[in-house]
Formats: sequence, C-alpha cells, structure tokens
Amino acid sequence: MHQNRLILLSILMLPLFLASCIKAFDPQIKGSDSKKYVVMGRVSTADTMQTVNVSLSSPISRPQYEAVNGCTVTIMDDRSNKFPLYEVGNGDYIGKIDPSFMFPGASFMVEVIVPDGTRIISDYDQMQSCPNIDSVYFEIDEIEGNAISKTKGIQFYIDLEGSLSDSREYLFEAVETWEYHSDYPLEWYYDGTVHHVVPPDYSKMVCWRTEKIPEIFTLNTKNLSFNASQRIPLHFVNNLTSRLLYGYSLLVKQIALSEAGYTFWDQMRLNSTQDGSLYGKQPIAIRGNLQNTSSPDSEVLGFFGASSVSEKRIFVSNVIEVFAETYCSPSVLRKGLREITPRDYPAYLMGDAERYYNVLLNNECVDCTVLRGINIKPAFWPK
Amino acid sequence: MKKLLLIGLFFSLVGISNAQIADKKLLPPIEAKTFAQFCQVLTDQYGIKVHYPQGFDAEFPIKLPTDSLNILDAFAIALDSTGYFASEWNKQLVVLPEAPLIEQLPDYTAAAIALVEEKDESKSLTASEEKYLTGRKPEAIQTLRIGKQGAQVSGSKAKILGRILDAETGEPVYFATIFVEETSTGAVSDVNGFLNLMLRPGKYNVVFDFLGYEKKKYLFEIYSDGEFVIRIKKTVYQMEEFVVHGDKQRSMKDKDPGLDKIAMRTIKELPMLMGERDILKVSGTLPGIVSVGEGSAGLNVRGGGADQNAFFINKIPVYNTSHMFGFFPAFNSDIIKDFSIYKGHIPAEYGGRLSSVFNIITRRGNRSRFTAHGGISPLSANIVAEGPLKKDRASFILSARSTYSDWILQRIEDPVIRSSAAGFSDYSGGLHYDNQSTQVGVFFYHSYDRFRLGDINDYNYSNDGISLSVGQTINKSLRAEFSLVGAQYTFKTTDKQEVSSAYEHAYQMNEYIFRADFKQVLSDKHAIDFGANFNLYQFNRGKVLAYGLASLRKDLDLGKESGFETALYISDSYDIMPRLHLTAGLRFATFSPTGPKKVYTYTPGFPLDPRFVEDSLFFNKNEVIKTFIEPDLRIALNYETDEKGSVKVAFNQMHQNMFMLNNTISVAPNTQWKLADYHLKPSSSNQVSVGIFRSLPLSGIEFSVEGYLKFTENFPEFRDGASFLESENVETVVLQGQQQAKGIELFVKRSNRRLEGWFSYTYSVSSVQIKDANPLNSINNGEVYPANFDIPHVVNMVINYHLNRRLTFSSIVTYQTGKPVTYPVSVYYVDGVPQFDYSKRNAYRIPDYFRVDLSMTVEGNLRRKKLLHSSLNISVYNVTGRQNPYAVYFNSESGRIKSFQYSVIGVPILTATWIFKLGNYASE
Repeated sequence: MHQNRLILLSILMLPLFLASCIKAFDPQIKGSDSKKYVVMGRVSTADTMQTVNVSLSSPISRPQYEAVNGCTVTIMDDRSNKFPLYEVGNGDYIGKIDPSFMFPGASFMVEVIVPDGTRIISDYDQMQSCPNIDSVYFEIDEIEGNAISKTKGIQFYIDLEGSLSDSREYLFEAVETWEYHSDYPLEWYYDGTVHHVVPPDYSKMVCWRTEKIPEIFTLNTKNLSFNASQRIPLHFVNNLTSRLLYGYSLLVKQIALSEAGYTFWDQMRLNSTQDGSLYGKQPIAIRGNLQNTSSPDSEVLGFFGASSVSEKRIFVSNVIEVFAETYCSPSVLRKGLREITPRDYPAYLMGDAERYYNVLLNNECVDCTVLRGINIKPAFWPK
Repeated sequence: MKKLLLIGLFFSLVGISNAQIADKKLLPPIEAKTFAQFCQVLTDQYGIKVHYPQGFDAEFPIKLPTDSLNILDAFAIALDSTGYFASEWNKQLVVLPEAPLIEQLPDYTAAAIALVEEKDESKSLTASEEKYLTGRKPEAIQTLRIGKQGAQVSGSKAKILGRILDAETGEPVYFATIFVEETSTGAVSDVNGFLNLMLRPGKYNVVFDFLGYEKKKYLFEIYSDGEFVIRIKKTVYQMEEFVVHGDKQRSMKDKDPGLDKIAMRTIKELPMLMGERDILKVSGTLPGIVSVGEGSAGLNVRGGGADQNAFFINKIPVYNTSHMFGFFPAFNSDIIKDFSIYKGHIPAEYGGRLSSVFNIITRRGNRSRFTAHGGISPLSANIVAEGPLKKDRASFILSARSTYSDWILQRIEDPVIRSSAAGFSDYSGGLHYDNQSTQVGVFFYHSYDRFRLGDINDYNYSNDGISLSVGQTINKSLRAEFSLVGAQYTFKTTDKQEVSSAYEHAYQMNEYIFRADFKQVLSDKHAIDFGANFNLYQFNRGKVLAYGLASLRKDLDLGKESGFETALYISDSYDIMPRLHLTAGLRFATFSPTGPKKVYTYTPGFPLDPRFVEDSLFFNKNEVIKTFIEPDLRIALNYETDEKGSVKVAFNQMHQNMFMLNNTISVAPNTQWKLADYHLKPSSSNQVSVGIFRSLPLSGIEFSVEGYLKFTENFPEFRDGASFLESENVETVVLQGQQQAKGIELFVKRSNRRLEGWFSYTYSVSSVQIKDANPLNSINNGEVYPANFDIPHVVNMVINYHLNRRLTFSSIVTYQTGKPVTYPVSVYYVDGVPQFDYSKRNAYRIPDYFRVDLSMTVEGNLRRKKLLHSSLNISVYNVTGRQNPYAVYFNSESGRIKSFQYSVIGVPILTATWIFKLGNYASE
C-alpha cells in the first residue's frame, strides 16, 4: 500500500496525474478457490459438549456464512473409540465425550461425511497438559489515540505458571460479558391507540451481552528456561463504551496446544494483525490439518484439535470514569401522534405516571435486547 | 498541378536511372585473376559495360572480399594505387587516368567562389561533417610503420601498444575492435582506447571497426616493438549506404555471452515519456531484462530482483538510478559514451551483485574544440558543455539538468496538489588529462530529488559520488589503472499523514572503493587481467523520530552498520585453437561486517523472533563480526562456427553482500539497503548460459538465442507482514532460501537500414523456495512459488523508420505477462469471526501489460553554416490508452469486499521536446 501511495504521489506531481486511474477489477478467482469446506472443532476438557462446525467458504465479493448441514460427524481417539456427534443446525454438530477419555497424551481426530459423500478427515491431534491459570489481572492504561485526548481504558494481562510436563504452546481466548441499561422503562406506547403500562415494565432495562474477543493471543515458552511467563497482554477495553459502566466480566481460556495447533493459531494471529489495507503485506495461505480424502486436491480449511483447557473469570466494576455512548435519541413529535406511521408500531412514548408527551422514544431507549444482549442475568454474574 | 506531378515523376525517374550503377551492389564477393576478367564478370552478371584506355595495363588481380559493396566503391578499391579512376557515364563505366570524368562544366558564379572559400576551411570541419559533405568517397589505405627497422624484437613477436581516438573530439574510443586479416586475430580497445597486439615483424592488413564509427583499413609494417595512435571518424547515418561487413561479423563474434550494448543514436530516436530519454527503460526492451513498470525504478535481469543489479557511472556505484520514482533516469543521457550490460558472463573484475552489471562510461569532453548541447521538455531542461583545457591534452565536460515542474502544480485546482512541490536535478562533470602514457580523470556526480505532497509526505533523496582514476602504461604489454571512489546515497522521509503516528526518517549509506586493475598481454593469443579492490561500507539506517508535537510515535534508532569487502581477481583470456576462445576468471572476495554492533542471539530451532532472544553479543568498533569467504569462478568459452556465427557457453558464479529491504518488486525512494551480518548470509548464485549468435549480412540482420539456468542460495525473502521501520533487528523479518531462474532469450536486430530496430522475446521462470523444518520459518508451507518478479513472457519490438535524413518515425511495442500476486480468494468464519483464505503465495497474476509508444523526430535544416541546430521530438506514450494494472488491491466497503486495479498511466500522453546543439546537423 505504501508503494501504491508513492506511485500515487508521483503521479499527482506530474501533469500525468490525469493519467492514473483506479477502476473496479474482477480478480477472476478460480471456482475451486472460492468454495472450500471449512471444518473447525476442538475436543476440549473445559466443555461438556464437544462441537464441530462444518461450513463452506464464500467468495470475497459476497462474504457470508454458509453452513453445511446433514453431515455425519464422528470424533475418534487413538484407542479406536468413536464418538458420534449429532446435528444441531447451522452447521454445528455436538456430542459428548466422557472426561475419562480426555487426558494428556490422548489423540483425537474427526471424520466428516458431507451429504454429497465427500469424506473429510483430520490428522490426529494430541492433547497436551494444561496448567491452571496462574492469574488474570488488569491495569488502567492510556493507549495511543488522537493527540488531543488519549483514550483511557483497562489492559488485561495473564500470567502463566506451568510445569515442565505441561505444554509449552498456548492459545488464549477471551470472552467478555458486560451489563448495560436502557434509558427508560416501557410505560407508554402507541399502536394506533395510546397504551399506558401500569406499573411500568422494567424487564428490558437491564441486559447482559457476551462476545468473544476476535483477537488471537498465542504464547510459546519453548525458548524460556521455565515454562512460565508474566504479563502476557490480552485485550484492551476503552472507556468510550458502556462496557465498563455497570460491570464487566472477562472469561479467559488458556488452551494447551500441540505443535500443529500452535502453528495454525499463530499463523491466524499473524494474518489477523495485518494493519493498514487488506492488501498491504504478504499474507499467509494457512492450511490446517484436514484433508479431503474423496478428492485430495481440494483443500479443506480449518483445524481440528484436542486441547486441555483451564479457565478463569475476572470481574471489573467502577474502576474508571466512563464516557459511554448512548443509542437512545428521543425525537419531538411536532405534529403529534399523526407523525407515527403504522410501520413503526408499537411506538414508544416518553411519559410519567400521569401522562405521555409528544416525544418518540426509539427502541434502544426502552428495549435493551435490541442491542444484541439478553435480559436474563448470567448465572456467574455476582448478586 | 499536373505539370508539377509530371516534373516530379521525371525527377524520380532520373533518380532511379542515376542510381542504377552507383547503388547496384556486388554480391557475392568477387575474385578475378585480371582486371579485364573482372570487367567481363560485371558485363556478364550485371550488364554494365566498362571502358578503359588502351594503354591501361589490365593484367593485375582483383580480390574484393567484401560483398554488398556498391559498384563504384568496388572499382575504387580495385583501381586503388593505379592512378586511374572509374566514373559513371551514360549507364556505363569509364576508367580514366588522373581524375574522374567531369560530367558538368564548372559554373563560374559567386556561389562557386564561396564554395571554394569554404573548402579552405575544410580543416576545421568535423569528421562527420566531412563525411556528410563528401559522401561516399572511397578512402585510400594508409600504411603505418611500427617500430624501427633492424631493432631487436624482444621475443619472436613484436609487442605493439595501440590507441584508438575519436578523430573529431580526441576522446578515446572504447570497445573498438581491430582485426588482423592475415592472422585472423584481433583485439578490443579498453576504456582509455588502448589495445595490445603481438605480431611477428611483417606486413599486415588491419581493419578497425566500432559501432557508429567508420570502418578503417590500414597496412601495418611491423619492424619491432612499438606504438601507434589511430584516429577514427564517426559515421553519419546515410540511407542504404552502409556497407555491411562482409568479411567478419565483429559485433556478433565479439559478443560476450550476455553482454548487451546500445548505441546512443538508437536511444536518441526512441519515443520518450515527458521528453526524457531513458537508457534504463530502453535496456528493458532487450532480451532478459524486464522493466518493473511505470512509476517504479528497477529492472529485473534474468529472473533476478531489482537489487541484484549493479549500476556504475565511471566506477561510482549508483543506488537509486531514477528521478521521480522511476519515471526518469537519474543521469543525463547526453553525457553517456558507452553503456554496457553484463548479464551472462560477468568479467572477474566485477562482483557484489548476483544478476548483472550496468556499466556507464561518460564522455570525457571534446579535446579539440568547445561545444554545447541541450534539450528542453515540458518538465525539465538540460545542458552539456565540453571543450579542451589544453588542446589534445586536457578536456572538461559539465552537465546540468533540472526541473521546473512546480509551475504545473500551481495550476492544478486541488488544494493538496497546489500546496505540493516536486523537482529533481542532476549535475556531473569531469576533467581528463591524457598524455598518451598517463591518463588522469576526475569525475563527480550528484542527483537530487525532492517531493512534497501537501502536508502529507515529504521525500528527498540524493546520490553523490566522486571518482579519481589514474591509468598508466607501464610497458608495451602492461597497463595499470588505479581508482579511488566515494559514493553516498541518502534519503529523508517525513510521513505526516496521520498526526499521531507522524514520523521522520533519514537514511544514509556510504561506500568507499579503492581499485587497482592491470592488463598484461602475454602473447597474441593470451592476455591476463588481474587486480584487487577494497570496498568499505558505512550505513546509517537512521532514526525514526516522532514528527510534530502531536505524534505519539516512539523514537527508534535503526542503528548503524559497517563492513568491508576485499577482492583479488585474475582472468585469463586465451585462444585455445584458431576458432576457440576461452576466458577463465577467478575472483576471490571476502566480506566482513564490523562493529560497533549489538547482536542478539536466538534460541536454536526457533524463528528469529524477539520472543526467542537468548543472549546478546557486543562488538567493538572495527571488530570483525564474521568473515564470509566468497570465491567466484567465471568461465566463458567461445567457438566460432564459421565466419558469421558463434556458439558461446559460460559458467558464472556471483556473491552479493547487501540487499534491499523491500516487500515490493520495485525500488522506492525510501528503500533501505542492508548488509549481510551475523544472522543474514550473503547470497550466492551459479549461472550456466549457452548462446548461439549469427548474422545475415545481406539483410542487415543479426540474431541470437540464449538460454540460461541460474541457482541462487540464501536468497532473502521477507516474512509476512514485515516492516522495516519497527525494528533494528532485520533478521527477525528475513528468511533465506533458494531461488531458481531459467529462461530462453531470442533477439533479432536489423541495423543501419532505412527500416531498423529489434525484436526480443524472453521466456523466463523465476521461483523461490523458503523451506525449513519449522513451518514458521517457511513461506508458502515450504513449497516452491513464483518470485515476485516472475514474468514468463516478455515481447518487445522497437522499430525506427528513417523517411529521410530529417524525419524519423519510431515505435516501441511492449508486452509482459502480469506480475504474480497473492489474492484473498474466499471468506470463512471461525467462531463467527470472518477470516480470509488467501491463495498460495503468488498463485495469481495481475492482468498482462501491453503498451505502444510512437514518436517522430524532425531535424532542423541541413545547412552547414549555422550557429544552432535543433530538432523536435513529438512522442505519444501509451497510444492505445490501455489501462495497464500496476497493482490490484482490495477494500472492504460496508461488509463487501471490492477489488480495484490501479493503473499508473491509463491514457495516451503526448509530449513535444526541443533539442538543440551548437553547430549543424552533423555536429557532435
């Protein structure tokens, strides 16, 4: 990209600047490249149900998740035990493996038979031993932002303390959950007639939203004299969202990887940390451990691994001043309720116990579930 | 109107009939026992009657070895030293004593008197003027006596030191060939015009020849060791008048495998972009050499990277060879005397780069009179002035070129562009002293580029160099040359695009060279070149500093590095058999990076990554960190299959101790060079090449087919996502592996005709493999992939058509396979997060490149007496307006990924350039 900019600059300086041009371009991707099977799955000691996901990749011009349903999916270990999985829809297949089969040294593979008969198998992946998470903590920090106001936030870290028999290669996953509130209870709404809810409905005022952090964190301790490392940086949460306003929780998964697993995830990390434009640097064509045995030339994307996992959850509240954005923007109905079209029913109105006002509340003002959260308190949430 | 047409028709008919004898060619060569027999052959085969006086003794033998002579010239040679002359009369030939036949009575008018006066001035005419004015007058063969009668000859053969100078300017002529007919041996003149011969005392017919000069014959009478100086004249292009070398095809026979030369005249007539002549772009039309593209400097030679080429201008290394990001060459083409490209057999005196050597030798200045020339284009102006300081002893040459492009920017409405500035300049100059036995030359070179785009970016870069060389003739068979060279390349970048990460970075590299080169002639079949060089490198990779108060960037010192290279070489050139010639060279070099330096060591078996640092080592100033031993073997075997063709085989080994830190295939102005160091090994390559060369004298065509195979070890590739401004430890972003290149090059050239030019086709494959037991140290899973500069098919066609002496049309047609790229080919989801699936490294290609350029050159009038001669060149670049993609990139727009192609020049560009010089059409 840098080079492109140089060229652009040089063009601009010349009267030739008229001559250069940028136009849409169809890269003519081979059909076999744009549709590939993707199998992602992991036998994990942390999960009671093991999940394997089967999908198809989609052309870059029309990116979409394309589930592959109707497959026969079987996980096998190196002692000839078979664990059939059953379909739960959307390309997901789940099944239970008794924890007694999952121990360091055991190897697992997956076999997927796609409805058209295509058979996909993975290599065996050996389960490594995973120590408990030593500690997860955070520090208040300022990161680079624009020059006028640096962005404050909290930076999470993890310490690893493993024994020599534990794995030396790790993947860390983080899942965040935060509580957020809508601004008004549901009290008045209009759907041709005005309704007054008494008492006001507070049920959609408090929600919790859970998201997996898309960043990939890997660690390799093979070069260290001890299988330990401190202050491994995880992700940063800034104070410009509502995340840190009412309560924030981070679940950190420490996943012990085999060498093949580490290679796969570290390459994923490198590809995802490319800054600038998508095309700025030479990316890696990542190939996991899956093969299409029906048609060996067809590549299969993804990775099937076996991992022992340890988890730790941390709660954060009231540690930093938050400047949260709000999605509630009431608007005055100058012409009264006539302005509301049936398309917008039910339309929420601002009001008090006595009366409503000609002020329209958008859905985000009264219904926190609109912002992709749920209004059921998670079991792990403190009282 | 009809009348006019008729008159025109009449004149053309007259022209044709006149031309019948004068332009009739003799083919094939004639051998006749007597002159009378020769005349009979002419009558029988060509229908030409020859009349000669009764007293004329016609019993002498005629031997005309050269074919394609015109008949008048053939007679001139046949009648040479008889005192008789042949003239054309009424479609017949008349042989008369003392003077040619007078066809017209002299016209006693004022004009004729003026002509007589001018003839008195003829001593001051330049050689080419003289030739231009006198036309095709055959020249007498001169006799040169060398040595003293009765003097001792040191061996059985006399050692002769010859020198070839330009008759007009007094400058030495480089690469002129001498051919001794009796012994079928020859020699080639060096940079200073010197050549050595070894001949037994006796008489020899000797022919001197060089592209662009008149071929000249001499009779040598050799008595003992001695010297001679010969001044040869430049030829002026004369339509259909060029006599093809019928006896020996020098240009083809002497061609080293993989040596290319371009005559400056050819370059002057080609289409130009924005009125600038670019020898580098022209060299990109030769087989095996690919120009990286518009808006980028750099050439890829035989499947090698842009940093595998060495550029020298009078021994000064030039690291950035272009102005304006590659649009214009960084040197004024008007001062170039010789431009050679070595890409196959590279002489042992050169080292340090894997693919090629581009050697530019500048003119030394006219030693007999002052002159100046220059050119004006919409973008820049240039001027060259030269002349004697002391006649025939010392001369100077100065050249200056500068842009005035800022005014164009001021006229553009866009405020960013209006607040931008851009410009370049280059200056060079030389002083030369020459007293036949000693030559002293000083040359300096400076080029500078500045560029500011609004308040977004600043770029400045400059090349500087100075060289001092002293050549000394030690004895008749030994010559020495000593040179001292200093060169510097610097750039400074300021990136202000994002206030919070704005930075400035200045980089500097210095190179100091001492060379001693010797040439010893042992016998007429045997010569040795030997010498030594010492190169000192001092690089300051510079500091990346936060720019402006608002920048949050952490300051980083990329560090300094230094190293030195020593080399000894010897090269033996030997005629094994009359038709078999061997050149065997050995170059023994060492390269040592030196301190002060802090070097990190990494855990063995792990990627060289900051996460795996094990220890650090400190090296003091000038302490040798490591020494690399680099022996190179260079062998070339040349077999002449017959008079008109040869087969050449060469084996070439090269080493390279520095490379560019660059992810793209072109040379950006902020590209850093890096020396081999504790972790990064020098690259080395082995190349085998075979070539077949042949000429077809009757049609003026030469052709060659060459094939090569090249293996490179420790080829540096950069890790995915490498950035060269974020770490001083370059080893963390470099992986080294193998590169392999192979190709076939086809070249057909027609020269010195009304319709001339060349056609080249190159098939080449260049692939890279970076494989390591650890997949993280591999690229593309360790599989072989096309190199970034793998361009399999390249076709170039260059055509010049000389309508007449004043009007020339030229065209260039270029086709190239598109460059390889890695595409994101599909999207898949891992835990709901979209991920791109990329194709294998360089598995796709951007669309092919195709371009046609046309140009027309109109010369000013041909009047002889004038102060200034000028010419106008009108060029259209990219006539078809094809939007050749330079790069393809992808952008995400509201969840959809769109692909775009970027074309640098997607429309035809018309330019007019005015070129002037002091003197007339034929002046140099």
